[in-house]
Amino acid sequence: MEESIKKLTEAIMDGDDEVSAEAAQEIVDAKADLKPVIEKLTDTMRELGRQFEAMEIFLPEMILSADAMVAAMDIFGPVLAESGDIQKKGTVVLGTAPGDMHEIGKNIVVTVLTADGFDVVDLGKNVPAIDYVNKAVENEADVIGVSALMTTTMPGATEVINLLRDKDLYGKFKVIVGGAPTNPNWAKDIGADGWAESAAEAVTLVNNLVQK
Amino acid sequence: MAVRLWEVMERAQNGPFMEENYFVKKSLMPTIKKLIRKYEIKADLSKPVNTSDELADKVWQAGKELFLTVGVYNQDTHRVIEFDEREVNEDLFAAPSYYLVGKNHDLRRYGHRKVEDTEKPFIIMSPDITYDEQVFFNACLSYLKEPLLDGICSPLLGDFMGRPMTSHFPLEIGGSMHHAMTLRETARLAGRPDVFFVAVGTAESDMAQIAVSNDQWGVRAGDARLCGGITELMTNNQMLNKAIHYNQMGNLCAILPGAIYGGYAGGAEGTAILQIAFILQGLCVYGASFSQNFPFHLLYGSNTGREMLWIISAYTQAVARNTHLVNDSNCFANAGPMTDMLFYEGAAHAISSVVSGNNLWTCAPCRNKIHNHGTPLEARFAAEVAHSVVAQHMTREEASEVVNKLLAKYEEKIPHDNYGVPFHEAYDVLKCVPKPEYLDLFYKCKEEVAKMGVNFIY
Repeated sequence: MEESIKKLTEAIMDGDDEVSAEAAQEIVDAKADLKPVIEKLTDTMRELGRQFEAMEIFLPEMILSADAMVAAMDIFGPVLAESGDIQKKGTVVLGTAPGDMHEIGKNIVVTVLTADGFDVVDLGKNVPAIDYVNKAVENEADVIGVSALMTTTMPGATEVINLLRDKDLYGKFKVIVGGAPTNPNWAKDIGADGWAESAAEAVTLVNNLVQK
Repeated sequence: MAVRLWEVMERAQNGPFMEENYFVKKSLMPTIKKLIRKYEIKADLSKPVNTSDELADKVWQAGKELFLTVGVYNQDTHRVIEFDEREVNEDLFAAPSYYLVGKNHDLRRYGHRKVEDTEKPFIIMSPDITYDEQVFFNACLSYLKEPLLDGICSPLLGDFMGRPMTSHFPLEIGGSMHHAMTLRETARLAGRPDVFFVAVGTAESDMAQIAVSNDQWGVRAGDARLCGGITELMTNNQMLNKAIHYNQMGNLCAILPGAIYGGYAGGAEGTAILQIAFILQGLCVYGASFSQNFPFHLLYGSNTGREMLWIISAYTQAVARNTHLVNDSNCFANAGPMTDMLFYEGAAHAISSVVSGNNLWTCAPCRNKIHNHGTPLEARFAAEVAHSVVAQHMTREEASEVVNKLLAKYEEKIPHDNYGVPFHEAYDVLKCVPKPEYLDLFYKCKEEVAKMGVNFIY
């Protein structure tokens, strides 16, 4: 069993989703306790996140590792659900602000949140404000995230919050914002629940918000 | 220069279908990795200015092969715009090697530069950030007063008539018109009515760009205008609309290629290769007359760190040695006005760029994100350094030594916020001149940089 767990963590570090799925299946077939395995995987992803923040590895490696993690979780998921051991961390609806075509920052946040165990609904780029609200309701989301890379698209985040207010949904979902020209004061001014400067900060922020 | 513009638009509409995720994960990322291995490209970061012709040529070959292999993805149609090598070679051959820009006493030659070229670099000045409406006029005027300015992009507006401008909303059109009118008016007041504009940066959308095309008060034929390259090797219908309009207006259409270090391209080698492919995207897809290059660091949003300076030197030399294309190199610094770090960053970026064979676009302080934080004085510093190292015929070996000395001054400080002061604290806003304390710092830093090996002309 130790060998399969080692094979799995190495496959995730190497970003090999086929080997990762294979190792996960071996672990399931052996009817092993999945809790310590999941904890091990979480540690592995944290280490990868640290390496990425230090630019010891780059985005391609991070994406492939996250894909390998998802491949393993796809196999563990049904078993965990059946045993009642699965603990859903929360659902996050993410996109870039209306008019904003720049999505690499948002994509990194999608990757790290997914790897951290959140269900992420990626709305993509240039997302109309109303879509954030509708998708959050539809997916019973915990958090809405709006990314803006241009000063002219920052008002799009305000528009999302104003819509939540107008539809009496303000407070039902936590709203987080980010992107190069944004800052914590602006986030507070527009009524957001949180602001993050980096993907790693976004993970910490979302974890804190869903625990509140 | 637009070659086969409409045929390209047809490919943007009817090229091979591909999911965007597949393009990034299965086409772009693995091809970059494969090409780094195939061409055995390895960055030597102990020399922040590349000194190897062989490496520069490999970067060129790998970048061209990346462009031919992967193509350019249209996010709106989910189609890949592809080219064959004959077409790329034709575009490269047909591209002009220089342009005469501006008019009358502001007529300038904006041309291709070679590695260690002794021809003067062309200097475009711009802070690339937004300013309060109240200081915008004087901020533009302050830049236009700079003696070494050959062209201007200028400060940007974030608000219009006291309201935040929103992309694709009428306020964006209003603010963009205000920007264009102000720039034209301040150019006349500065005694440079026909200076070369790269305008207007306030207009993000295609409709706002089209709205500011006007021979009397706005952007004229002969001015330059920018078309973004979207992360990474992508475009969309808006960008294509801009390209068509700019080319038909008689503007110099330029691509804004910013390959991201640490992003889909990976490290320094992949980022340099990707930058080449982006330049070819500009040439072949947008009919671009030049490239306004700004590769940047994923975490910091700047390009003055060691790995970024190497990337700049490598792609610049690759283009300088293998084409006659016109380029410029856009500085994104970490620090802000009234800090010595900003001067040192601008100097390092200028040296790496112009000695390697680029022109200069300088300078966006504060990681290009802090409102009001930019002045012409840091642009003047970088421009003086650029002209001086060209005049003294600095070699790449010498440049690498000087840049290493400059990096020693600020490399460790990059991760820490050091945003200095806003325009109105560094400048006498009404008189449009730097405050004495900022000028003192300017001269002190010049003395420091002179000791490192830059022979200032004056």
